Amino acid sequence: MALTELTHLSITEAASGLRRKEFSPSELARACLERIESIDHKLHSFITVTADLALEQARKAEQELRGGTDKGPLHGIPIALKDLYATKGIRTTCHSAVLQDWVPDHDATTVTKLCEAGTVLLGKLGMHEFAFGGPSVDAPFPAVRNPWNMAHIPGGSSSGSGAALAAGLCLGCLGSDTGGSIRTPSSHCGVVGMKPTYGRVSRFGVVSLSWSLDHAGPMARTVEDCAILLQAIAGYDPKDPASANVPVPDLRSELKNKIKGLRVGVPRVNWFNENKGTDPETEAIFDTALKTLESLGAVVVEIDGRPFSIARKANQTILTAEAYAYHEKRFQEAPEKFGSSVRRRMLEGAFLSAADYITALRARTVLNEQIRANFSAVDIFVTPSAPRPPDAFETMDPNEQNLRPSFTNPFNLTGLPAISLPCGFTKDNLPVGLQIAASPFEESTVLRVAYAYERASEWHTRRPKL
Amino acid sequence: MVKELTLAQLRMMAERSGLKLTDEEVGKLLPGVNRSHNQILELRKLITDSIEPASAFAASRTEKK
Repeated sequence: MALTELTHLSITEAASGLRRKEFSPSELARACLERIESIDHKLHSFITVTADLALEQARKAEQELRGGTDKGPLHGIPIALKDLYATKGIRTTCHSAVLQDWVPDHDATTVTKLCEAGTVLLGKLGMHEFAFGGPSVDAPFPAVRNPWNMAHIPGGSSSGSGAALAAGLCLGCLGSDTGGSIRTPSSHCGVVGMKPTYGRVSRFGVVSLSWSLDHAGPMARTVEDCAILLQAIAGYDPKDPASANVPVPDLRSELKNKIKGLRVGVPRVNWFNENKGTDPETEAIFDTALKTLESLGAVVVEIDGRPFSIARKANQTILTAEAYAYHEKRFQEAPEKFGSSVRRRMLEGAFLSAADYITALRARTVLNEQIRANFSAVDIFVTPSAPRPPDAFETMDPNEQNLRPSFTNPFNLTGLPAISLPCGFTKDNLPVGLQIAASPFEESTVLRVAYAYERASEWHTRRPKL
Repeated sequence: MVKELTLAQLRMMAERSGLKLTDEEVGKLLPGVNRSHNQILELRKLITDSIEPASAFAASRTEKK
Protein backbone atom coordinates (compact mmCIF):
# COMPACT_ATOMS: atom_id res chain seq x y z
CA MET A 1 0.00 0.00 0.00
CA ALA A 2 1.30 3.49 -0.89
CA LEU A 3 2.40 5.65 2.02
CA THR A 4 -0.24 8.32 1.34
CA GLU A 5 -2.91 5.62 1.30
CA LEU A 6 -1.79 4.48 4.75
CA THR A 7 -2.13 7.96 6.23
CA HIS A 8 -5.67 8.35 4.88
CA LEU A 9 -6.94 5.12 6.41
CA SER A 10 -9.59 5.40 9.07
CA ILE A 11 -8.64 4.15 12.52
CA THR A 12 -10.95 1.18 11.97
CA GLU A 13 -9.28 0.31 8.66
CA ALA A 14 -5.79 0.77 10.07
CA ALA A 15 -6.59 -1.40 13.09
CA SER A 16 -7.73 -4.19 10.73
CA GLY A 17 -4.67 -3.77 8.51
CA LEU A 18 -2.34 -3.97 11.52
CA ARG A 19 -3.94 -7.20 12.70
CA ARG A 20 -3.84 -8.69 9.21
CA LYS A 21 -0.12 -7.71 9.18
CA GLU A 22 -0.55 -5.77 5.92
CA PHE A 23 1.69 -3.10 7.49
CA SER A 24 3.24 -2.51 10.89
CA PRO A 25 2.74 0.30 13.46
CA SER A 26 6.25 1.54 12.56
CA GLU A 27 5.36 1.74 8.85
CA LEU A 28 2.15 3.57 9.70
CA ALA A 29 3.96 6.05 11.96
CA ARG A 30 6.72 6.59 9.38
CA ALA A 31 4.13 7.22 6.66
CA CYS A 32 2.51 9.94 8.78
CA LEU A 33 5.87 11.49 9.72
CA GLU A 34 6.97 11.56 6.08
CA ARG A 35 3.71 13.21 5.04
CA ILE A 36 4.06 15.80 7.81
CA GLU A 37 7.59 16.48 6.61
CA SER A 38 6.53 16.83 2.99
CA ILE A 39 3.42 19.03 3.27
CA ASP A 40 2.99 20.57 6.71
CA HIS A 41 5.30 23.47 5.91
CA LYS A 42 2.34 24.74 3.84
CA LEU A 43 -0.40 23.98 6.39
CA HIS A 44 1.36 24.68 9.71
CA SER A 45 -0.91 22.23 11.52
CA PHE A 46 1.86 20.95 13.83
CA ILE A 47 3.73 23.09 16.37
CA THR A 48 5.85 20.22 17.66
CA VAL A 49 6.52 16.91 15.91
CA THR A 50 7.57 14.13 18.30
CA ALA A 51 9.13 11.88 15.68
CA ASP A 52 11.51 9.98 17.96
CA LEU A 53 8.81 9.32 20.53
CA ALA A 54 6.36 8.23 17.83
CA LEU A 55 8.81 5.74 16.34
CA GLU A 56 9.66 4.40 19.80
CA GLN A 57 5.95 4.00 20.69
CA ALA A 58 5.29 2.39 17.31
CA ARG A 59 8.11 -0.13 17.82
CA LYS A 60 6.69 -0.96 21.26
CA ALA A 61 3.20 -1.44 19.81
CA GLU A 62 4.66 -3.65 17.12
CA GLN A 63 6.37 -5.88 19.67
CA GLU A 64 3.25 -6.03 21.83
CA LEU A 65 0.95 -6.94 18.96
CA ARG A 66 3.42 -9.50 17.69
CA GLY A 67 3.64 -10.97 21.18
CA GLY A 68 -0.14 -11.30 21.47
CA THR A 69 -0.82 -8.24 23.65
CA ASP A 70 -3.67 -6.38 21.94
CA LYS A 71 -4.80 -3.19 23.68
CA GLY A 72 -7.71 -2.64 21.30
CA PRO A 73 -8.48 -0.58 18.21
CA LEU A 74 -6.13 2.30 19.06
CA HIS A 75 -3.07 0.11 19.55
CA GLY A 76 -0.38 1.34 17.17
CA ILE A 77 -2.55 4.19 15.78
CA PRO A 78 -0.79 7.54 15.14
CA ILE A 79 -2.59 10.46 16.75
CA ALA A 80 -1.88 14.10 17.60
CA LEU A 81 -3.02 16.51 20.31
CA LYS A 82 -4.15 20.11 20.30
CA ASP A 83 -1.31 21.98 21.98
CA LEU A 84 -3.25 22.69 25.17
CA TYR A 85 -3.18 19.08 26.41
CA ALA A 86 -0.43 18.81 29.00
CA THR A 87 2.16 16.26 27.92
CA LYS A 88 4.86 15.27 30.38
CA GLY A 89 8.27 16.28 29.07
CA ILE A 90 6.85 17.66 25.81
CA ARG A 91 6.47 21.40 25.25
CA THR A 92 2.85 22.56 25.52
CA THR A 93 2.46 26.08 24.18
CA CYS A 94 -1.25 26.86 23.68
CA HIS A 95 0.08 28.51 20.48
CA SER A 96 1.21 31.43 22.64
CA ALA A 97 4.38 33.30 23.53
CA VAL A 98 3.10 33.17 27.11
CA LEU A 99 3.69 29.40 27.35
CA GLN A 100 6.23 29.10 24.55
CA ASP A 101 8.72 27.23 26.73
CA TRP A 102 6.38 25.39 29.11
CA VAL A 103 7.25 21.72 29.50
CA PRO A 104 4.64 20.12 31.81
CA ASP A 105 5.64 17.64 34.49
CA HIS A 106 2.40 15.71 34.07
CA ASP A 107 0.09 14.30 31.42
CA ALA A 108 -3.57 15.27 31.02
CA THR A 109 -5.82 12.37 32.06
CA THR A 110 -6.94 11.97 28.45
CA VAL A 111 -3.31 11.73 27.32
CA THR A 112 -2.66 9.02 29.91
CA LYS A 113 -5.72 7.12 28.68
CA LEU A 114 -4.67 7.34 25.03
CA CYS A 115 -1.19 6.17 25.98
CA GLU A 116 -2.68 3.21 27.85
CA ALA A 117 -4.72 2.41 24.74
CA GLY A 118 -1.45 2.05 22.84
CA THR A 119 -1.61 5.12 20.60
CA VAL A 120 1.46 6.60 18.92
CA LEU A 121 1.91 10.34 19.53
CA LEU A 122 3.03 12.24 16.42
CA GLY A 123 3.05 15.65 18.05
CA LYS A 124 1.23 18.76 19.20
CA LEU A 125 -1.10 20.76 16.99
CA GLY A 126 -1.60 24.45 16.25
CA MET A 127 -4.69 26.25 17.48
CA HIS A 128 -6.09 29.69 18.12
CA GLU A 129 -3.98 31.19 20.89
CA PHE A 130 -5.32 29.94 24.24
CA ALA A 131 -8.30 28.55 22.27
CA PHE A 132 -9.85 32.02 21.87
CA GLY A 133 -10.00 34.84 19.35
CA GLY A 134 -9.17 34.10 15.73
CA PRO A 135 -6.25 32.76 13.72
CA SER A 136 -3.08 33.84 15.51
CA VAL A 137 -1.31 36.08 13.02
CA ASP A 138 1.14 37.56 15.55
CA ALA A 139 1.77 34.49 17.70
CA PRO A 140 5.18 32.78 17.72
CA PHE A 141 3.83 30.03 15.44
CA PRO A 142 2.14 30.57 12.06
CA ALA A 143 -1.62 30.38 11.66
CA VAL A 144 -2.94 27.01 10.46
CA ARG A 145 -4.26 26.86 6.87
CA ASN A 146 -7.28 25.00 5.50
CA PRO A 147 -6.21 21.97 3.40
CA TRP A 148 -9.23 22.43 1.12
CA ASN A 149 -8.06 25.89 0.15
CA MET A 150 -5.02 27.36 1.85
CA ALA A 151 -6.26 30.90 1.36
CA HIS A 152 -9.05 30.04 3.80
CA ILE A 153 -9.16 29.61 7.56
CA PRO A 154 -9.56 26.07 8.92
CA GLY A 155 -11.87 27.24 11.72
CA GLY A 156 -10.93 27.18 15.35
CA SER A 157 -9.85 26.94 17.88
CA SER A 158 -8.77 23.33 17.21
CA SER A 159 -7.50 24.46 13.81
CA GLY A 160 -4.44 22.19 13.65
CA SER A 161 -6.56 19.17 14.58
CA GLY A 162 -9.02 19.78 11.73
CA ALA A 163 -6.32 20.55 9.18
CA ALA A 164 -4.05 17.61 10.12
CA LEU A 165 -6.91 15.13 9.82
CA ALA A 166 -8.16 16.50 6.49
CA ALA A 167 -4.62 16.47 5.08
CA GLY A 168 -4.00 12.88 6.17
CA LEU A 169 -1.21 13.73 8.59
CA CYS A 170 -2.61 11.62 11.43
CA LEU A 171 -5.51 9.24 12.01
CA GLY A 172 -7.10 10.80 15.08
CA CYS A 173 -6.82 13.89 17.28
CA LEU A 174 -8.03 15.49 20.44
CA GLY A 175 -9.50 18.98 20.33
CA SER A 176 -11.24 21.11 22.91
CA ASP A 177 -14.52 23.01 22.66
CA THR A 178 -15.71 26.00 24.72
CA GLY A 179 -17.96 27.67 22.16
CA GLY A 180 -17.57 25.42 19.11
CA SER A 181 -13.82 24.82 18.92
CA ILE A 182 -14.08 21.14 18.00
CA ARG A 183 -17.17 21.38 15.80
CA THR A 184 -16.24 24.49 13.79
CA PRO A 185 -12.86 23.25 12.51
CA SER A 186 -14.44 19.84 11.91
CA SER A 187 -17.06 21.55 9.76
CA HIS A 188 -14.58 23.79 7.93
CA CYS A 189 -12.09 20.97 7.29
CA GLY A 190 -14.60 18.27 6.35
CA VAL A 191 -13.88 15.92 9.27
CA VAL A 192 -15.83 14.59 12.26
CA GLY A 193 -15.56 16.12 15.73
CA MET A 194 -17.48 15.46 18.91
CA LYS A 195 -18.05 17.60 21.96
CA PRO A 196 -19.24 15.13 24.60
CA THR A 197 -21.55 15.94 27.51
CA TYR A 198 -19.97 18.28 30.08
CA GLY A 199 -18.36 15.97 32.63
CA ARG A 200 -18.06 12.96 30.31
CA VAL A 201 -14.38 13.48 29.49
CA SER A 202 -11.83 14.71 32.02
CA ARG A 203 -10.51 18.26 31.65
CA PHE A 204 -7.60 17.56 33.99
CA GLY A 205 -4.43 18.71 32.31
CA VAL A 206 -6.24 20.62 29.56
CA VAL A 207 -5.29 24.30 29.81
CA SER A 208 -8.49 26.11 30.69
CA LEU A 209 -10.27 28.73 28.66
CA SER A 210 -13.52 28.76 30.65
CA TRP A 211 -13.92 26.21 33.44
CA SER A 212 -17.68 25.83 33.20
CA LEU A 213 -17.83 25.65 29.38
CA ASP A 214 -14.68 23.73 28.41
CA HIS A 215 -15.08 20.28 26.91
CA ALA A 216 -12.36 17.87 25.76
CA GLY A 217 -13.25 15.62 22.86
CA PRO A 218 -12.18 13.57 19.85
CA MET A 219 -11.76 14.47 16.18
CA ALA A 220 -11.32 11.94 13.38
CA ARG A 221 -12.23 11.25 9.76
CA THR A 222 -15.22 8.99 10.46
CA VAL A 223 -17.98 8.72 13.04
CA GLU A 224 -16.84 5.24 14.08
CA ASP A 225 -13.32 6.55 14.69
CA CYS A 226 -14.75 9.30 16.90
CA ALA A 227 -16.64 6.64 18.86
CA ILE A 228 -13.42 4.64 19.32
CA LEU A 229 -11.49 7.68 20.56
CA LEU A 230 -14.31 8.82 22.85
CA GLN A 231 -14.58 5.33 24.33
CA ALA A 232 -10.89 5.49 25.23
CA ILE A 233 -10.96 8.92 26.90
CA ALA A 234 -14.42 9.01 28.53
CA GLY A 235 -15.14 8.20 32.15
CA TYR A 236 -15.01 9.52 35.69
CA ASP A 237 -11.83 11.25 36.84
CA PRO A 238 -11.52 12.39 40.46
CA LYS A 239 -8.86 14.89 39.33
CA ASP A 240 -11.53 16.90 37.47
CA PRO A 241 -14.06 18.53 39.83
CA ALA A 242 -16.68 18.59 37.04
CA SER A 243 -16.21 14.96 36.07
CA ALA A 244 -19.45 12.96 36.02
CA ASN A 245 -19.59 9.53 37.60
CA VAL A 246 -21.88 8.14 34.90
CA PRO A 247 -21.23 4.75 33.25
CA VAL A 248 -19.93 4.89 29.67
CA PRO A 249 -21.82 2.53 27.35
CA ASP A 250 -20.19 0.56 24.53
CA LEU A 251 -20.43 3.38 22.00
CA ARG A 252 -19.27 1.39 18.99
CA SER A 253 -21.75 -1.45 19.46
CA GLU A 254 -24.69 0.97 19.33
CA LEU A 255 -23.64 2.65 16.10
CA LYS A 256 -25.51 0.35 13.76
CA ASN A 257 -28.92 0.63 15.42
CA LYS A 258 -31.55 2.17 13.14
CA ILE A 259 -32.92 5.70 13.44
CA LYS A 260 -36.41 4.98 12.12
CA GLY A 261 -39.00 7.02 14.01
CA LEU A 262 -36.40 9.25 15.67
CA ARG A 263 -37.75 12.78 16.15
CA VAL A 264 -35.33 15.38 14.77
CA GLY A 265 -35.82 18.91 16.14
CA VAL A 266 -34.78 21.76 13.84
CA PRO A 267 -34.68 25.10 15.74
CA ARG A 268 -34.85 27.14 12.55
CA VAL A 269 -37.43 29.79 13.40
CA ASN A 270 -36.00 32.77 15.35
CA TRP A 271 -32.44 31.49 15.01
CA PHE A 272 -31.22 30.60 11.52
CA ASN A 273 -32.17 34.09 10.27
CA GLU A 274 -30.62 35.99 13.23
CA ASN A 275 -29.02 39.29 12.08
CA LYS A 276 -27.21 38.51 8.81
CA GLY A 277 -28.60 35.00 8.98
CA THR A 278 -27.26 31.72 7.63
CA ASP A 279 -25.48 31.59 4.29
CA PRO A 280 -28.11 30.41 1.75
CA GLU A 281 -25.83 27.78 0.21
CA THR A 282 -25.06 26.36 3.66
CA GLU A 283 -28.77 26.23 4.54
CA ALA A 284 -29.61 24.51 1.23
CA ILE A 285 -26.95 21.85 1.90
CA PHE A 286 -28.34 21.45 5.42
CA ASP A 287 -31.88 20.99 4.06
CA THR A 288 -30.63 18.26 1.73
CA ALA A 289 -29.06 16.53 4.74
CA LEU A 290 -32.41 16.70 6.53
CA LYS A 291 -34.02 14.94 3.57
CA THR A 292 -31.40 12.19 3.88
CA LEU A 293 -32.29 11.75 7.56
CA GLU A 294 -35.98 11.60 6.59
CA SER A 295 -35.19 8.96 3.99
CA LEU A 296 -33.68 6.90 6.82
CA GLY A 297 -36.97 7.05 8.73
CA ALA A 298 -36.39 10.08 10.97
CA VAL A 299 -39.22 12.55 11.50
CA VAL A 300 -38.32 16.24 11.21
CA VAL A 301 -40.03 18.60 13.67
CA GLU A 302 -39.53 22.39 13.49
CA ILE A 303 -39.06 23.93 16.97
CA ASP A 304 -38.60 27.46 18.29
CA GLY A 305 -34.97 28.60 17.98
CA ARG A 306 -35.24 31.64 20.26
CA PRO A 307 -33.59 30.16 23.40
CA PHE A 308 -30.81 28.73 21.22
CA SER A 309 -30.23 32.19 19.78
CA ILE A 310 -30.05 33.89 23.17
CA ALA A 311 -27.72 31.18 24.51
CA ARG A 312 -24.80 32.74 22.65
CA LYS A 313 -25.06 35.91 24.75
CA ALA A 314 -24.83 33.97 28.02
CA ASN A 315 -22.08 31.73 26.65
CA GLN A 316 -19.96 34.68 25.54
CA THR A 317 -20.37 36.52 28.83
CA ILE A 318 -19.43 33.51 30.95
CA LEU A 319 -16.57 32.56 28.65
CA THR A 320 -15.05 36.04 28.55
CA ALA A 321 -15.34 36.54 32.33
CA GLU A 322 -13.82 33.15 33.17
CA ALA A 323 -11.08 33.46 30.55
CA TYR A 324 -10.02 36.87 31.83
CA ALA A 325 -10.11 35.66 35.44
CA TYR A 326 -7.80 32.77 34.48
CA HIS A 327 -5.28 35.10 32.77
CA GLU A 328 -5.75 38.28 34.85
CA LYS A 329 -2.30 38.27 36.46
CA ARG A 330 -0.61 37.69 33.09
CA PHE A 331 -2.55 40.59 31.56
CA GLN A 332 -1.53 42.88 34.40
CA GLU A 333 2.13 41.88 34.24
CA ALA A 334 2.91 41.26 30.56
CA PRO A 335 -0.04 41.91 28.23
CA GLU A 336 2.33 42.24 25.26
CA LYS A 337 2.96 38.50 25.36
CA PHE A 338 -0.59 37.82 24.12
CA GLY A 339 -1.36 38.06 20.42
CA SER A 340 -3.65 40.89 19.31
CA SER A 341 -6.70 38.73 18.60
CA VAL A 342 -6.86 36.90 21.92
CA ARG A 343 -5.81 40.03 23.85
CA ARG A 344 -8.71 42.08 22.50
CA ARG A 345 -11.29 39.35 23.12
CA MET A 346 -10.11 38.38 26.60
CA LEU A 347 -9.66 41.92 27.86
CA GLU A 348 -13.39 42.50 27.41
CA GLY A 349 -13.73 40.26 30.45
CA ALA A 350 -11.91 42.83 32.60
CA PHE A 351 -14.89 45.17 32.25
CA LEU A 352 -17.61 42.73 33.30
CA SER A 353 -18.79 43.03 36.90
CA ALA A 354 -19.45 40.15 39.28
CA ALA A 355 -23.15 40.95 38.89
CA ASP A 356 -22.86 40.69 35.09
CA TYR A 357 -21.30 37.25 35.43
CA ILE A 358 -23.98 36.08 37.87
CA THR A 359 -26.68 37.42 35.55
CA ALA A 360 -25.28 35.25 32.75
CA LEU A 361 -25.21 32.23 35.07
CA ARG A 362 -28.84 32.85 36.05
CA ALA A 363 -29.77 33.15 32.38
CA ARG A 364 -27.97 29.86 31.90
CA THR A 365 -30.40 28.23 34.33
CA VAL A 366 -33.38 29.54 32.34
CA LEU A 367 -31.94 28.67 28.93
CA ASN A 368 -30.96 25.17 30.07
CA GLU A 369 -34.56 24.55 31.08
CA GLN A 370 -36.01 26.07 27.92
CA ILE A 371 -33.72 24.18 25.56
CA ARG A 372 -34.00 20.85 27.38
CA ALA A 373 -37.81 21.15 27.56
CA ASN A 374 -37.78 20.37 23.83
CA PHE A 375 -36.80 16.78 24.62
CA SER A 376 -40.46 16.06 25.41
CA ALA A 377 -41.18 16.58 21.69
CA VAL A 378 -37.93 15.62 19.95
CA ASP A 379 -35.04 13.19 20.50
CA ILE A 380 -32.22 15.20 18.93
CA PHE A 381 -31.45 18.69 17.62
CA VAL A 382 -29.98 19.17 14.16
CA THR A 383 -28.46 22.35 12.71
CA PRO A 384 -25.68 23.36 10.35
CA SER A 385 -22.41 23.31 12.32
CA ALA A 386 -21.40 26.77 11.11
CA PRO A 387 -23.53 29.56 9.62
CA ARG A 388 -21.29 29.92 6.57
CA PRO A 389 -18.29 28.28 4.91
CA PRO A 390 -14.76 29.15 6.08
CA ASP A 391 -13.67 32.72 5.32
CA ALA A 392 -10.61 33.64 3.34
CA PHE A 393 -7.82 34.98 5.57
CA GLU A 394 -7.73 38.19 3.57
CA THR A 395 -11.40 39.07 3.93
CA MET A 396 -11.97 37.69 7.41
CA ASP A 397 -13.78 40.11 9.75
CA PRO A 398 -13.47 39.18 13.46
CA ASN A 399 -16.68 41.07 14.26
CA GLU A 400 -18.67 39.18 11.65
CA GLN A 401 -19.24 36.17 13.91
CA ASN A 402 -21.46 38.22 16.20
CA LEU A 403 -23.69 39.08 13.27
CA ARG A 404 -24.53 35.48 12.38
CA PRO A 405 -26.11 32.74 14.49
CA SER A 406 -23.72 30.63 16.56
CA PHE A 407 -24.97 27.08 16.13
CA THR A 408 -22.41 25.67 18.52
CA ASN A 409 -22.57 27.94 21.61
CA PRO A 410 -25.90 26.63 23.01
CA PHE A 411 -24.47 23.15 23.47
CA ASN A 412 -21.57 24.44 25.54
CA LEU A 413 -23.96 26.44 27.69
CA THR A 414 -26.25 23.43 28.22
CA GLY A 415 -23.45 20.85 28.29
CA LEU A 416 -25.33 18.67 25.79
CA PRO A 417 -23.36 16.27 23.58
CA ALA A 418 -22.98 17.43 19.95
CA ILE A 419 -21.12 16.25 16.87
CA SER A 420 -20.19 17.80 13.53
CA LEU A 421 -19.77 15.66 10.43
CA PRO A 422 -19.45 16.50 6.73
CA CYS A 423 -22.75 17.00 4.90
CA GLY A 424 -21.70 18.62 1.63
CA PHE A 425 -19.46 21.06 -0.21
CA THR A 426 -20.04 24.54 -1.54
CA LYS A 427 -19.62 25.45 -5.22
CA ASP A 428 -16.11 26.60 -4.23
CA ASN A 429 -15.36 23.12 -2.87
CA LEU A 430 -15.34 24.14 0.79
CA PRO A 431 -16.79 21.67 3.33
CA VAL A 432 -20.07 22.18 5.19
CA GLY A 433 -20.86 20.40 8.46
CA LEU A 434 -24.01 18.96 10.00
CA GLN A 435 -24.42 19.29 13.77
CA ILE A 436 -26.37 16.70 15.77
CA ALA A 437 -27.02 17.14 19.51
CA ALA A 438 -28.91 15.04 22.06
CA SER A 439 -29.82 14.97 25.74
CA PRO A 440 -27.15 14.66 28.47
CA PHE A 441 -24.95 11.55 28.27
CA GLU A 442 -26.71 10.38 25.09
CA GLU A 443 -23.48 10.35 23.07
CA SER A 444 -24.55 6.96 21.73
CA THR A 445 -27.67 8.54 20.19
CA VAL A 446 -25.62 11.35 18.62
CA LEU A 447 -23.13 8.84 17.20
CA ARG A 448 -25.87 6.50 15.96
CA VAL A 449 -27.60 9.25 13.97
CA ALA A 450 -24.28 10.57 12.65
CA TYR A 451 -23.23 7.07 11.62
CA ALA A 452 -26.54 6.44 9.83
CA TYR A 453 -26.15 9.74 7.94
CA GLU A 454 -22.51 9.03 7.10
CA ARG A 455 -23.40 5.59 5.71
CA ALA A 456 -26.04 7.20 3.50
CA SER A 457 -23.64 9.82 2.11
CA GLU A 458 -20.15 9.99 0.61
CA TRP A 459 -18.87 13.35 1.86
CA HIS A 460 -16.46 11.80 4.37
CA THR A 461 -14.65 9.96 1.57
CA ARG A 462 -13.52 13.15 -0.21
CA ARG A 463 -9.96 14.36 0.19
CA PRO A 464 -8.41 17.76 -0.43
CA LYS A 465 -5.90 17.98 -3.27
CA LEU A 466 -2.54 18.85 -1.74
CA MET B 1 -30.26 50.27 26.24
CA VAL B 2 -28.15 51.91 28.97
CA LYS B 3 -25.85 54.84 28.29
CA GLU B 4 -22.76 53.50 26.55
CA LEU B 5 -19.35 53.73 28.16
CA THR B 6 -17.04 56.45 26.89
CA LEU B 7 -13.38 56.09 26.07
CA ALA B 8 -12.43 58.07 29.20
CA GLN B 9 -14.57 55.85 31.44
CA LEU B 10 -13.10 52.71 29.94
CA ARG B 11 -9.58 54.04 30.37
CA MET B 12 -10.31 54.71 34.05
CA MET B 13 -11.76 51.22 34.50
CA ALA B 14 -8.69 49.70 32.89
CA GLU B 15 -6.39 51.56 35.26
CA ARG B 16 -8.43 50.47 38.27
CA SER B 17 -8.11 46.88 37.03
CA GLY B 18 -4.33 47.21 37.01
CA LEU B 19 -4.14 47.11 33.22
CA LYS B 20 -1.64 49.23 31.32
CA LEU B 21 -3.32 49.73 27.94
CA THR B 22 -2.50 52.19 25.18
CA ASP B 23 -5.15 54.66 24.04
CA GLU B 24 -5.36 52.80 20.76
CA GLU B 25 -6.01 49.55 22.58
CA VAL B 26 -8.70 51.07 24.79
CA GLY B 27 -10.34 52.48 21.66
CA LYS B 28 -10.39 49.06 20.02
CA LEU B 29 -11.93 47.51 23.13
CA LEU B 30 -14.75 50.00 23.50
CA PRO B 31 -17.24 48.57 20.94
CA GLY B 32 -16.85 45.04 22.30
CA VAL B 33 -17.27 46.16 25.92
CA ASN B 34 -20.42 48.10 25.07
CA ARG B 35 -21.76 45.13 23.11
CA SER B 36 -21.12 42.90 26.15
CA HIS B 37 -23.03 45.26 28.41
CA ASN B 38 -25.98 45.33 26.03
CA GLN B 39 -25.96 41.53 26.03
CA ILE B 40 -26.24 41.55 29.82
CA LEU B 41 -29.33 43.73 29.56
CA GLU B 42 -30.93 41.19 27.24
CA LEU B 43 -30.05 38.35 29.59
CA ARG B 44 -31.59 40.22 32.53
CA LYS B 45 -34.95 40.11 30.77
CA LEU B 46 -34.91 36.32 31.06
CA ILE B 47 -34.55 36.06 34.81
CA THR B 48 -36.92 36.46 37.71
CA ASP B 49 -36.15 36.69 41.44
CA SER B 50 -36.47 32.95 41.92
CA ILE B 51 -33.81 32.03 39.37
CA GLU B 52 -30.50 30.86 40.84
CA PRO B 53 -27.20 30.84 38.94
CA ALA B 54 -26.11 27.66 37.18
CA SER B 55 -22.41 27.63 37.86
CA ALA B 56 -22.02 24.54 35.68
CA PHE B 57 -24.01 21.78 34.12
CA ALA B 58 -24.58 19.27 36.93
CA ALA B 59 -24.78 15.63 36.03
CA SER B 60 -26.63 14.84 39.24
CA ARG B 61 -29.52 17.02 38.08
CA THR B 62 -29.84 15.26 34.76
CA GLU B 63 -33.29 14.01 33.92
CA LYS B 64 -32.86 10.92 31.84
CA LYS B 65 -35.46 10.20 29.20
